[in-house]
Amino acid sequence: MAITQRVEKIRQNYVNTKPHISYERAWSWTKSFQRTEGLPHLIRTAQAFYDTCCELSVNIWEGELIVGTSGEYRKCAILTPEFGWLWINDEIDTFPERGQDPYDVTPEQTEFIRKNIFPYWKGKSVEEAFLARTSEATKKIGVDTGFLDTDSKWRNGIGEISADYIDVLLPKGYGGIKAEALRYMEDLNEAIPEDKKKIEFYKSMVLIADGMITLGRRYSEKATEMALNEPDKTRRAELEEISRVCARIPEKAPESFREAIQFVWFVQLGGIIAENPLAWNPGRFDQYMYPYYKKDLEAGLIDRDTALELIECLWLKYSEWAWTISKNTASFFAGYTNFENLTIGGTKVDGSDATNDISYLAIQATRECMTHQPTLSCRIHPDCPPDFMEAVTELVSTGCGFPAIHGDRTGYQMLSNLGYDPRDARDWNNCGCVVPHSRKTFEWTSAASISFAAALEFALNEGRSRLSGEQVSLPEKDPRTFTSMEEIIEAWKKQFRYLVKHGVISLVTAQEIHREIGHRPFMSACNEYCMKNGKDLVDGGAKYNIGPVFTGVGLSVTANSLAVIKKLVFEEKSATLADIIDAIDNNWEGYEELRAKALACPKYGNDDDYVDSIARDLADFFYGEVTGYDDLYGNHFVTAFMGISNYLPTGKVLGATPEGRHAMDPINEGVSPYTGSDTSTCLAALRSAAKMNHDIHSGGTLLNLRLNHDLVATKRGRANLGAMLQSYFALGGFHVQFNTISNEVLKDAQAHPDKYRSLLVRVAGYSAQFTNLSKEMQDSIMARNAHGEF
Amino acid sequence: MGVLGYIMQMQPFSVNDGEGIRTTIFMAGCPLRCKWCSNPEGFSQREIIGWYQRKCIGCGDCVRVCPQGIGINMNIERDRCISCGKCTEVCSQNARTRMVTYMDADDILSDIHKHRLFYAYSGGGITFSGGEATSQPELLDYLTSEIYDMGYSMDIETSGYFDFESVRPSLERMDLIFMDLKHMDPEKHRYYTGVPNDRILENIKNLGTLRSIDRPGHGPDIVIRIPVICGVNDSEDNIRQSAAYVHKVLPEARMELLPYHSFGMIKYEALGIPYDHPEFSAPDKERMDHLKDVIMSEGILIADYR
Repeated sequence: MAITQRVEKIRQNYVNTKPHISYERAWSWTKSFQRTEGLPHLIRTAQAFYDTCCELSVNIWEGELIVGTSGEYRKCAILTPEFGWLWINDEIDTFPERGQDPYDVTPEQTEFIRKNIFPYWKGKSVEEAFLARTSEATKKIGVDTGFLDTDSKWRNGIGEISADYIDVLLPKGYGGIKAEALRYMEDLNEAIPEDKKKIEFYKSMVLIADGMITLGRRYSEKATEMALNEPDKTRRAELEEISRVCARIPEKAPESFREAIQFVWFVQLGGIIAENPLAWNPGRFDQYMYPYYKKDLEAGLIDRDTALELIECLWLKYSEWAWTISKNTASFFAGYTNFENLTIGGTKVDGSDATNDISYLAIQATRECMTHQPTLSCRIHPDCPPDFMEAVTELVSTGCGFPAIHGDRTGYQMLSNLGYDPRDARDWNNCGCVVPHSRKTFEWTSAASISFAAALEFALNEGRSRLSGEQVSLPEKDPRTFTSMEEIIEAWKKQFRYLVKHGVISLVTAQEIHREIGHRPFMSACNEYCMKNGKDLVDGGAKYNIGPVFTGVGLSVTANSLAVIKKLVFEEKSATLADIIDAIDNNWEGYEELRAKALACPKYGNDDDYVDSIARDLADFFYGEVTGYDDLYGNHFVTAFMGISNYLPTGKVLGATPEGRHAMDPINEGVSPYTGSDTSTCLAALRSAAKMNHDIHSGGTLLNLRLNHDLVATKRGRANLGAMLQSYFALGGFHVQFNTISNEVLKDAQAHPDKYRSLLVRVAGYSAQFTNLSKEMQDSIMARNAHGEF
Repeated sequence: MGVLGYIMQMQPFSVNDGEGIRTTIFMAGCPLRCKWCSNPEGFSQREIIGWYQRKCIGCGDCVRVCPQGIGINMNIERDRCISCGKCTEVCSQNARTRMVTYMDADDILSDIHKHRLFYAYSGGGITFSGGEATSQPELLDYLTSEIYDMGYSMDIETSGYFDFESVRPSLERMDLIFMDLKHMDPEKHRYYTGVPNDRILENIKNLGTLRSIDRPGHGPDIVIRIPVICGVNDSEDNIRQSAAYVHKVLPEARMELLPYHSFGMIKYEALGIPYDHPEFSAPDKERMDHLKDVIMSEGILIADYR
C-alpha cells in the first residue's frame, strides 16, 4: 500500500518546518518549583510534572490520529532549565540562525524566558552545581574541550531509559501504577525513617500517574470539543474516536492496537515533558505490540493497512519532537536526533525467533515515512529468517541509514558480561545509538566521550594542546627524545589514564548532584523494580544499576599514528621522530613527501595485523583502565566505542596527527576505519573491526561503512550483504550501519537542498535529514570511503 | 617446498563470478590474445612489475633501490627489468606494483581461508580465473584437491582453449564452470583472439563428459559465456548460432552475456603496451536484452550473476 494522504500531509509538514522553541513546560515547571520550596526534591519534581500536565496547552493537529504534543507548536522543542540554563541564556539569540540544528524562537519568547524563568534557576541548576564543585584541573581538560566531555550528564536531562512496556506500563496503565503505589504505602510506617523515604517515593508515583491520567483526559475533552465544531463528517468521527481512546488511555491498560499505539505515545510524551531526554527508548516494539495486533486482526477489528497508518502516525510523532541542545552538543549529536531507539527482531527469551508482522510493518513505516525517528534498530540472530534479512537489507538499500543492524548474540554477551540474569540479557533492546540495554536498567549510557587521539597529542607534545599551546594535561618529556615504541606507548597510557581519571571525577560529581537534585519519578514509574523497591532511579531503585559509560573516540587515528611511528622511525628508520613532530607541528606543510610515506603505512580497516593489533591493544587498555574505577553506587565504569557524530568536534580541537591527518580534520567514530583509509575490501574492514573484542565493551560498539548503491540494488546483492552481516556477527562484531547513497546524489542535495528535504542519511549510529546537517558534516559523510568492488 | 605458480591477483569479495561472496584467483598465462583483453598482464607466465603513472609522485625511491638502474618511467627500459620487486616495496603510492607474482600454493590457500565465514554464510567460495587457470594444470590440480577437501565451493572461468584431459580431474571438482565462446566463425575467432575456435567448440562438447565425485551421474553446472562486443560478435546471427551449438552439444548448459567494458585500459598503460581500439564498444541494454531473447528462443536459459 502506498502511504496514505493523511500521513503524507503530516510528513510534508514535518519535513518542511523548523522546530519551534516552546517555554510552556519550563514555565509550568518553574511556577511549580516556586510553590514547593522546602519539600523533598523528589516530591517537587513529581509535583512539577503533575502541574505541567494540568497546564500544558492541549493541541490536536490537522489530520492526527495519535495525539499529544509537548507545547504549542507541532514541531516543538522544550526547555529544561533545572538541568542547565546558562547555555540557553548564552545561545538562545542565535538559535534561529545557527548552522547545526537551528530552532525558531521569537524575541518576545526570549524576553519572557529571560525575565520569568531563568532568574528562578540561578544557582539552582545541575550545571551550576557541577561547575561549582569541579576543580580547575578537571575543567581544563574535561569541560568543553573536545578531549574529554561529560556535559550531556550535567547540562541536559539524562534520558537513557528503556520504558518497560511489557511488565509495567501496558498491563497496568497509569491507573494500575497509582493503585500499586497506594497499596505499597498502606504497609509502610512513616515513623520508620526508611519507610518515610519510601512513602515519599510512592507519593511521587501517585503524582506522576495522576499527571498522566490528567493529560489523557484533557486530550479527550479537547477532542470532544473539536468534534462539536468539526464540519467534516469523517474528521468528526476521527475526533470522537480520539476522545474515546484518550478517555481510557493512559489511565487504563489498552485493549486494542489503536489504544496501545496512543498509550505508547503518551508514555513517550510524558518522558519528554519530564526530562527532555536523550535516548528515551521505546524498546522492543514488535514484541509488545504484536499481541494487540494479532488480537484485533483475529477479531476483524483491524487490517494491515490500518495498523501501518497508525504506526506511521506514531513515527511522525517521534520525529516532531525536537531535542533542545547547545551548539556544542549539536555538533556531537547533529540532526535534531534524540535517539528514540526502537528495536525489532532478534530472539525471544525462550530462544526462538522473535520476528513477527509488526517487525515488517516497522520497517515499512520507516521506508515510507523516511523520518529520522524512531532510531530503528534490528537484532539479527544466526537463524534470522531470510525474509527479515531481505526486509532489513532492502531498507539499507534505500540509503536512509536505517536500520542499525546488531548481532543478537554479541548484545546478549555484552549484558551477560555486566552480570545480567540470562533471561534479561536475552531480552536486550537498543538504547540511544548502539547500546545494548534493558528495560530493567539504570545506566548512564553516554556519559563521557574520551579522545584516544588527544592522549596521543599530549604524549607527543609535552602535555600541551598542539593548536593552543596550552598545558592542559600532564607534563611529558620532549617527544624528540623518545627512544622506543614502548616509551611512546607508555607516554600515551599515562596521558590516557589522566583523561580517564578526570572523566571519573566529573561523572561521580554529576552522580552526586543528580542524587540530590536530579530525581526521576517519571522514569522510575516505568521501571518495575523501582516500584518494588520503593526507590527512585537515582537512589538505585532499578534491578540493574550499571556504571556510566566512557565512549572512546579516535581509535583508528591513534592506532594508525602509532603504526606510522613504529614503521618509519623504529623499523625502516626512514624518518626520525623529530621529523614527524616537526611535520605535524607544521600541519604537514613542507613535508608532503613524509606525509605520502605516512599515508602509505598500514592502516586500520584493511585486515592488517600490523596496525589492527595496535588498535586492539589500545582498546583493551581502555577497557582495563575504565572498568578499574567504581562509580558512586559501587558499580564498575563501562567502556564503549559508540561514536555519535563526535568525530567532528573532537577532531576540530586537535593538531595534525602522525598518520597524515591535517589539523582540525575529523578523527573517527566507534571502531570505524579512518575515513578513506579502508582501501581494501569491505570484508577486510569488517575483519579489522571484529578484532576489537566487542563483547567486553558492554556500552556498545559502532561500525559505519559506505557501500556503493549498485551493490545492494539487486536481491542477490542484498543476500550477499546479509551474509556479510552474519559473518561479521559470527566474528564477534556487534553493530554495523551502512550508507548507500551515491556522492552524486549527495552533491546535488548539497547544491539544491529544497529538492532533498526528506533525504535521510546515516550520520553515526543514527540517521538524520541530510539537509539538516551543517556543510562540514555533509562533506565528511561524502568523504567516507565507498566500498565499490563487491 | 610446495607447488608454485604465477598469480596476477587474489580478489576477495567477488560477487559476480558465481554464487555468493567469492575469492577469485587470477592465474597468469593465457594462450589467447583477445584484442579487447582487460587483463593483459595475464598473457604469459612470468613475474611482471607495473608502473601506474597517474599514481606516481616522482619521488624516485624506486630508482634508488633498483639493482638494474632503471629510471622512474620503467616502460622505456622494461626489457632490463628482472622483476625483483624491490621498487614495489619502497613505493609509498603503490604506483610500482607487482602485476604477476610467483606464489607458493600454500600461501594462496591461507589467504583463501581468511574469508571462510563469508563463503559459508553467502554460499560462496573460490573462483579460478585468469589469464587462464587451465594453463597451470599442476597448480590448479593441487589447489582444487586441497580446496575440495575443505568443502568450499569452486568455480572456474576459462577460455576453453586447453588440453581437456590434463585438467579433467580439476574440472570434476568444480561446482560451476564458465566457459567462453567468443565467436562461432573460425576466421573471425582467429582474427580477434589469435587462435581458432575448433578446440573450444570441442571442449564445450567435452564438458558433457565430466562427472562430479559427489554428484553421481552428473557433472558440474555449466555456463557458456559470451563477452558481447559491438561490431565483433554481437550480430544476432552469431549469437543464435552459438546458442544453437550449445543446445546441440550441451543441452543442460545455461548461457550468460557479459557486455564489453574498457576497465582494463589502465593496465595497458601500466605495462607500457599501446592499446588503441576505438572500434570496440559496449552494447546498450536494449541490445543485450534482445540478444538474451535470441538465446532463450533457442531453448537455452540465461544465467545472471549480477
